[in-house]
Amino acid sequence: MSEHEGELHNVAPGEPHDNMLSETLSYVIGLGLALLLTGISFWVASTSILWGPGVATGLVVLAIAQMGVHLVFFLHITSGPDNTNNVLALAFGVLIVFLVMIGTIWIMAHMNANMMPGPAMTNLMIQRG
Amino acid sequence: MFGKLTWDAIPFHEPIPLITSIVVLLAVAAIAAWITRNRWWSYLWDEYITSTDHKKIGIMYIVLGLVMLVRGFADAIMMRAQQSLAIGASQGYLPPEHYNQIFSAHGTIMIFFVAMPLVIGFMNFVVPLQLGVRDVAFPTMNNVSFWLTASGALLVNLSLFIGEFARTGWLAFPPLSEKAFSPGVGVDYYLVALQVSGVGTLLTGVNFVTTILKIRAPGMSYLRMPVFCWTALASNLLIIAAFPVLTATLALLMLDRYLGFHFFTNDGGGNSMLYMNLIWVWGHPEVYILVLPAFGIYSEVVSTFSGKPLFGYRSMVFATLAICIISFMVWLHHFFTMGAGADVNAVFGIASMIIGVPTGVKIYNWLFTMYGGRVRFTVPMHYAIGFMLTFVIGGLTGVLLAIPPVDFIVHNSLFLVAHFHQVIIGGVVFAIMAAYTYWFPKAFGFTLDERLGKAVFWCWFIGFHLAFMPLYVLGFWGATRRMQHIPDASWAPWLNVAFVGAAIIGLGIALTVVQLLYSIKTRDQRIDITGDPWDGRTLEWLTLSPPPHYNFAVLPDVHGEEAYWTRKQTAIKQDQLIKEPDYQPIEMPLNTPTGVIVAFFASVCGFAVIWYIWWLAILGLVGAFAVMVWYAWRDEHEHIIPIEEVRANARERRRIRMEHLHNLSQSV
Amino acid sequence: MSTASEAPAVGLTHLGSEDTGLGHRGPASKSIVVPYGFWLFILSDMVLFSALFATYASLVRATDGGPTTNQLFDRNLVAIETLALLVSSFVCGLAMIAAKRKNMLWTQGWLLVTGLLGVVFLSIEIYEFSSMISEGAGPQRSAFLSSFFTLVGCHGAHVTCGLLWIGTMMAQIWAKGFRQDIMRRLLCLSVFWHALDIIWVAIFTIVYLIGTLP
Repeated sequence: MSEHEGELHNVAPGEPHDNMLSETLSYVIGLGLALLLTGISFWVASTSILWGPGVATGLVVLAIAQMGVHLVFFLHITSGPDNTNNVLALAFGVLIVFLVMIGTIWIMAHMNANMMPGPAMTNLMIQRG
Repeated sequence: MFGKLTWDAIPFHEPIPLITSIVVLLAVAAIAAWITRNRWWSYLWDEYITSTDHKKIGIMYIVLGLVMLVRGFADAIMMRAQQSLAIGASQGYLPPEHYNQIFSAHGTIMIFFVAMPLVIGFMNFVVPLQLGVRDVAFPTMNNVSFWLTASGALLVNLSLFIGEFARTGWLAFPPLSEKAFSPGVGVDYYLVALQVSGVGTLLTGVNFVTTILKIRAPGMSYLRMPVFCWTALASNLLIIAAFPVLTATLALLMLDRYLGFHFFTNDGGGNSMLYMNLIWVWGHPEVYILVLPAFGIYSEVVSTFSGKPLFGYRSMVFATLAICIISFMVWLHHFFTMGAGADVNAVFGIASMIIGVPTGVKIYNWLFTMYGGRVRFTVPMHYAIGFMLTFVIGGLTGVLLAIPPVDFIVHNSLFLVAHFHQVIIGGVVFAIMAAYTYWFPKAFGFTLDERLGKAVFWCWFIGFHLAFMPLYVLGFWGATRRMQHIPDASWAPWLNVAFVGAAIIGLGIALTVVQLLYSIKTRDQRIDITGDPWDGRTLEWLTLSPPPHYNFAVLPDVHGEEAYWTRKQTAIKQDQLIKEPDYQPIEMPLNTPTGVIVAFFASVCGFAVIWYIWWLAILGLVGAFAVMVWYAWRDEHEHIIPIEEVRANARERRRIRMEHLHNLSQSV
Repeated sequence: MSTASEAPAVGLTHLGSEDTGLGHRGPASKSIVVPYGFWLFILSDMVLFSALFATYASLVRATDGGPTTNQLFDRNLVAIETLALLVSSFVCGLAMIAAKRKNMLWTQGWLLVTGLLGVVFLSIEIYEFSSMISEGAGPQRSAFLSSFFTLVGCHGAHVTCGLLWIGTMMAQIWAKGFRQDIMRRLLCLSVFWHALDIIWVAIFTIVYLIGTLP
């Protein structure tokens, strides 16, 4: 079977796969990259070398990179034609995640700003806390 | 030992729930006795309860939905009666604590246990047939999904006999739904029932997206699928996208109530506005989950009964997908008044107006389909035309509500209530009634009585307008929703008209039952011999009625849009069927009791959680897990239908079709 | 499984095609359909977590005068947890490679290591939770803590289910060998396990790292 698609390994399970080496290599490279990116994340979060406000963005970018490493090297999501449905499903999922998170954060930020209790109430709440 | 459960939970002191409970229990007992007397239990067990056949599961969903419609309607007529009676000095017959449970139960049941099961039921029955395949991707999971939904319905209904239901509306907003203000079991019944059935629904979403994307007849590319399958795809994508948010949000509320967390409480830093936001992130896509398949039903009905292919197939597909995506970008319009501010309101308001455009495209496409066709005014077509008139007005009021300043005035008024009932009844309910009539012969082998069907339609159409048009007026006059007592006597005439409308709808529902019983009794007069009673255009009409378990002896080869229509016209022109294919034995999935047993344990666990009976809850969970492992341990997954049976059924079908063909060519 | 000695029976998906889903060759085979369906389920789980993340982001500053992120989180513990989960993901991949070669010893071995690393992860998490609770920083203290415990706890609950699943699969493979349907389940398990690590990347970045920036 030359064309295998739609599932998360390039070969259907149970079928003989000549390339044990390439598969193992995929996991090893993935582990290596992930370890590297994780290490950098922890370093970025604790160093004072970088410009403060940029650190959070940098961490997010590193996180996305790590997720990408997982998707490509562990889950074998590629851009090949046999993977199209998987990628489309992933894109749909990412869109929804994005809408839910960004939408909620944006809305709640506005809500909280507009609906903050007045100074007397806030004072009361702080005292009780 | 029994947690919070005591004998006090039974409503001995409340006449209405008590009498209802007794009547329902007697009815259930009577039905059980009737089944026992006729020795139908093993038939029901083998043919329906343990069935993995999408057709049977679809029928079970529809039966569940129709039965729950009666309960939901009973709640509705009680509310209408209360509002007609409780004016001025009178307090009516329902005290507020009871009235609040009724409107909460009405909404919860109608959305989760009437509309969802009915829509999912029709998708179950029709989609694999229209795709030209034998079943959905995961037949056993399909069975489990149904039984989990039924389990949720059971729990909601149990609240009538044991305990109470939520008084918080169908979405259970905090802080009212928090422990501090709703200490009873009502909100817990609501939460647990929805969590259990929510799992079932999510699994359905996964099942159908996989089926539609991966399991279709040879040659059926995406753009050759019937529009109903496209709308089913969009709806199930929304299920996958939205239901996890519902699960999460209800779980957060459960954590607040059960473990004293502070997500939505007034103290501890909780934010009840967050609940509103999250619940509507789910809530808006939910209504599109309901209405998109309804649009698909209309596409099928209108093209069949206009004798023309659907106008603008590609624009229909595009509009469906556009609605699917945009429906995830409008949810804030449910709480414009909560204080997000003008910027946020404007964005969501504009998005809410934009979503009306693809819907408008669809309406035009249906109209253009009818134009130039030979329209047959069958019962489904009545509903389709009724829908077009009703839904457009409902949609217009929706676009009106999408304007934040307008919404500030009519938010949570009867205007809103009229709007959403208009789009749901005009859109979803009419579609279900059309689908019920349209696909009934395919499921059972005979058509329903037409005259009674038209009577039912008119009851719904007239009843709906009488029941809800006055509410628009009342909404403008300041009438709020969910009122147990009416402060302004001048509203009385309008509310009375609404009551009459509800009564007419009730008549329609009663006539539906009459129609069914009468049609069964006189079915010999309306047998669907050919399997194609409506001169249909899609592949489900290729089979006999009802189809064999495996649907098609050989999966049909699809060469263009409207696979069945082209094949039929070719056969008529050539006066012969296609060459007889090579038959093979067919593997079909085995029946399984997994679904009903898992649902049993889910019900036990759910009931135990509601009443704080912790040992029983753990037992239920362990039981459900054990059943799943037991199921996973089986070695035989399929049974084989022998080639002789396949061949015999197929040849019988061909013989009947040939005869029908000859009749057709002779009449030309 | 079905008896292979009969005439080739045409089932729902059995002898279906391996095609790209454009539909030209009929229904896809089970080895494609099952993982795809599970992938959709994983995406729905991601949406579930996104709701919890959104909740966390909305409530992270709602400390009600109580403990804040900086006072509570220990990055060293988090680093160990992260390492454990990441290596377990790697090892899970090795288990899949062994399973494809039907090697009972290595499959069971790597699955066991995967599970043990998961137990390490959970132990640290439980330790973290219980010490927070004993300090009075339990989930009932404030909305921030409620959302922290729920987000991280939900992930932990998923890991727990994964461990139960690993145990079940080990038992099944032992009892029934590397049958096709069991292989499909193993594939789904590995997808699940990798997805858990993806969620953990988001958690440790957003909750523990960004949350404790100076």
